[in-house]
Amino acid sequence: MREMARRVARCGVGLIMGTATAAVELLFALMAGVALLPVAAWPTARRAVLRPVLAGARRLARWERARLAMWLDLRVTPAYEDVRALRYVACHWALGVLGGVVMLTAAIGIGYGTFGIYGWILLDGIRNPGSFVLGSLGGFFLVFLAVQGIFGVVGLEGQLARHFLGPRHQEELERRIEELSASRAAVVDAVTDERRRIERDLHDGVQQRLVALGMLLGRARRSQDADRRDRLLGQAHDESRRALDELREVAWRIYPTTLDEAGLRAALETVAERASVPVGVEYDVAEEPGQAVSTVAYFVVCEAVTNAVKHAAPTRISVAVRAEEQRMYVSVQDDGCGGANAAGSGLFGLARRVAALDGSLSVISPPGGPTLVAAELPCG
Amino acid sequence: MRVILAEDSTLLREGLVRLLTEEGHEVLAAVGNAELLLKAVAEDPPDVVVADVRMPPTHTDEGLRAALEIRERWPAVGVLVLSQYVEKRYATELLTGETEGVGYLLKDRVVQIDEFLDALERVAAGRAAFDPEVVRQLLGRTTHTDLLARLTVRERDVLAEMAQGHTNAAIARRLHISQSAVEKHTNAIFDKLELTGGEGYSRRVLAVLRYLGS
Repeated sequence: MREMARRVARCGVGLIMGTATAAVELLFALMAGVALLPVAAWPTARRAVLRPVLAGARRLARWERARLAMWLDLRVTPAYEDVRALRYVACHWALGVLGGVVMLTAAIGIGYGTFGIYGWILLDGIRNPGSFVLGSLGGFFLVFLAVQGIFGVVGLEGQLARHFLGPRHQEELERRIEELSASRAAVVDAVTDERRRIERDLHDGVQQRLVALGMLLGRARRSQDADRRDRLLGQAHDESRRALDELREVAWRIYPTTLDEAGLRAALETVAERASVPVGVEYDVAEEPGQAVSTVAYFVVCEAVTNAVKHAAPTRISVAVRAEEQRMYVSVQDDGCGGANAAGSGLFGLARRVAALDGSLSVISPPGGPTLVAAELPCG
Repeated sequence: MRVILAEDSTLLREGLVRLLTEEGHEVLAAVGNAELLLKAVAEDPPDVVVADVRMPPTHTDEGLRAALEIRERWPAVGVLVLSQYVEKRYATELLTGETEGVGYLLKDRVVQIDEFLDALERVAAGRAAFDPEVVRQLLGRTTHTDLLARLTVRERDVLAEMAQGHTNAAIARRLHISQSAVEKHTNAIFDKLELTGGEGYSRRVLAVLRYLGS
């Protein structure tokens, strides 16, 4: 109920502001019309007059967009041409007037509805209580109608804004296709990068260890001296253990099996345990997210933590994961030296992975720190 | 034998240094990238250079580029290239031009210390050393299969050994046949593969390899 009242109040304020902007817009449209009328026949002059007019329309449309988003919770995807903005400005005044009338009705309703209370306090005796009650009831009915009217006008505002300021259906589809092809290409790239990294991990890490191990064994076999042979075999034994560790590391970097077996929370805790810097994990997700989401969330945390440890020399890293309204928010903050490059291969790769899920990744890392890597992922 | 090593993995580099020192060779320098390798060779040209194909900064083929440059600028220096896996392009690039004192081994071969040292000595002495796996793949991939089809199984064996850079004596030892039998086979191979002329031994071997790699 309170939520509802707050919403009505906000929309009401938005409509009053809409009335004010509509007045400005009407004035602007009239002046623009007056300015354009004498030059309508000459294309060059028309263009010269049109340029500031369109700039003005664009600015007014931007204000409107801000008003709609702030007070009426209407978000319109920004895509419009100047001419459409001008049309919007020219049409919006009628809605402004309507909004004003609705708000006036609401004010009158409130006035009548509460008149009885004033009357009670201000007048000594009430001669005709029945008419007061009737008047109040009428006033409240008027308020009820006005509330309906507010929602009606807000709906119309939305339609008008989407019609003129939002992308047309075709455009919207085209834009979506563009986005999808871009993210598909990015996914392919990200997978290729990943393969390259795995190949490098195997060849430059594990293979080197195994060759070194083989060399130790080979030297031991060639050795005539029993003591030396023992020492070399001992080294080889150690090396074989390190090769195994390395292999486990590589396999882990390719895919953490904990993620499947014990879920995202456990996988993140393992990341924290493995880091050489204290990592605090705050996990506030009621329901285990889908596999695609948890994998990406895991890699965001893993990569961000690895990056921080490697480049920022932090003393502490805090990881927070929470889910709200079908979206998952992942943030990794460190108190290191900052200056992380969002276009660097690691973070850029992450951004691509996140984009593939229609999410977004932001990196805030001023020189001197701290660094915040935050991802927003749609889930469900 | 005086050696310069170029290998970016510290672990392996140290292992190689130890190994070569133990075997009584002199390691003039052990470096981690191609640039330092060229500098070290320019300062004091060794008998042989051992270089990893992949080195920083790009980890693609810096080592190979450096090897080719060394062969061009210091023809007397033998070059043994170590590769993670068989890359026909690398082998072919090494095989074009003068082909004395060149080697191409898979990195894993280092583990077979005897074979590795043998290959290193061959390269340092101005002969060739090619990894059996490389040769096998080049043989398998050659476009002249019709010509190769004419060879007998024994002749193929001899060709493979020869392509690795072994001398007739070594081939005879490795295949447990007499040296004259090897000579007989090699002549048959050259006839069947229509290779005429050629004087030096390694030149003939490399002619075959080049032919196979083409």
